[in-house]
Amino acid sequence: MSLERKEEHDHKAWMKKKDLTPIEATFLTTLIWLDKRLRIVDYLELLETLYYKVNLQMPKSHTEQYNLDNKFWYWYPLYTLGLFSTLAYVVAAISGALLGFYYSPATSGDPTTAYNSIEFIMRDLQFGFMLRSIHRWSAQVMVAAVFLHMLRVYFTGSYKEPRELNWLLGIVLISLTMVFGYTGYLLPWDQLAFWAGQIGVEMSLSVPLAGEWVAQLLFGGFTLSQATLQRMYILHVFLLPFVVTTLIAIHIGIVWVQGIAEPH
Amino acid sequence: MSDNESETKEIRTDGTGIVAPDNETPTWSERKARKTGLSRLTYEYFERARREDQDLRTESDYVERDVLAFPTWPHETVRNLSIASFFVGMILFLSATMPPHIGAPANPSQTPAIILPDWYLYWSFGLLKLNPLNPELAILGGQKIMADRTYGVLANGVVVGFIAIVPFLNKGSARRPVEQPFWAAVGVAGVVFAMTISLLAVKNLMPMNVDLLFDLTFLLPIVFGTVTYAVLKTMREGYMYNLNRRYYRLRPPK
Repeated sequence: MSLERKEEHDHKAWMKKKDLTPIEATFLTTLIWLDKRLRIVDYLELLETLYYKVNLQMPKSHTEQYNLDNKFWYWYPLYTLGLFSTLAYVVAAISGALLGFYYSPATSGDPTTAYNSIEFIMRDLQFGFMLRSIHRWSAQVMVAAVFLHMLRVYFTGSYKEPRELNWLLGIVLISLTMVFGYTGYLLPWDQLAFWAGQIGVEMSLSVPLAGEWVAQLLFGGFTLSQATLQRMYILHVFLLPFVVTTLIAIHIGIVWVQGIAEPH
Repeated sequence: MSDNESETKEIRTDGTGIVAPDNETPTWSERKARKTGLSRLTYEYFERARREDQDLRTESDYVERDVLAFPTWPHETVRNLSIASFFVGMILFLSATMPPHIGAPANPSQTPAIILPDWYLYWSFGLLKLNPLNPELAILGGQKIMADRTYGVLANGVVVGFIAIVPFLNKGSARRPVEQPFWAAVGVAGVVFAMTISLLAVKNLMPMNVDLLFDLTFLLPIVFGTVTYAVLKTMREGYMYNLNRRYYRLRPPK
């Protein structure tokens, strides 16, 4: 901690003097080894400052202030919906990554390769039926939880004063969640998926001024084709995961910084 | 003057504001500036003192906490872990008992009788069926200003846009529905509308008159909103009295 240079930097002698346990010795050796190369001490001081500025002094929450803990518990299920949707998102991400090993987004063949790969997952793949089931249900649960979460926030007035931006971010997130669901809905390329995609194309074509451009961008054309499926796939497994994960992190980060708004 | 200043600078611990960071904590530039002479000695002394504090803290089994709250370990962690495993278990249970099936493969040449998105997009799908609400304007010679489809797509934007500006319309510190019956009524009407418009989306599956369904789609939210408003308005009188009584008991007016 001190800025004073220690005696000749003889860290080994210093360590011997200290009668350390093996764990401590290993830790210190590693720390010194890393510090010689990466100057961790500098960052530790920064972290220390952060610790004092951020961690030590936090405002009391409303529940603490008015000692409402005994009244607060029955609201708790409603206040955990955000966690619930995050958990469902994590479960969907894990099961989705596993499904991605076996799915291929191609409309060639009859029935299409995409459809066949889903059938393979459901029929032949060990645990595949359950895997798809988990993925689908966690997606359903996530959307439901996000909707209910929004209702909770609305009816407890939690979107008010310092939290407007997080409300807006939440609207972006709920929309992206639905886009997530929609793109995933199209991937099996069965009848429902195809015609839901058809509606999507028609809806984007109906957007004033930018309609055709939107249809081209999202669906790769005005009729459903290989390009559509491929775009849905990339949106679903590449673009949206990055964007949504980042936004969720920011959303939760803001909640962390601002504290949870409890009903007064 | 100085009295006033010390009063305003006093750290508020009533939870209404962010408590200022510890004054003793030197800023990064301050630390850099204290690298020579007496200031360095001071800095070293502070470090020693802080370390001494730290040692005393770690020795004692009294946990010094600046935040008076629910302890993270074990209470909050155990609670979160149990809730998390319960939720994940619920998802697994649902997946095991109600696995999804897959329909017939895509066939562009055969339009199925029922075209539906997933349930959470029914509201959006229902907004596409607002044709009777798209006005035929006399000024355009009975023409509609935009196609029904465009009208439906724009309705999505209106709904999302309205939800987005709620924090900028509804201000103030009131939080509970009883304290602001109007906004609670708007919320209930919105929820009911989300449900009725979803039912409108599946109107060809609904065992009832489509015109009636269309009317109910817009009437039911109004009815439910009005009832909510009336009930909450009635409740508010007694509720606010109790709330204020409690508040005054807590902090008697000066």
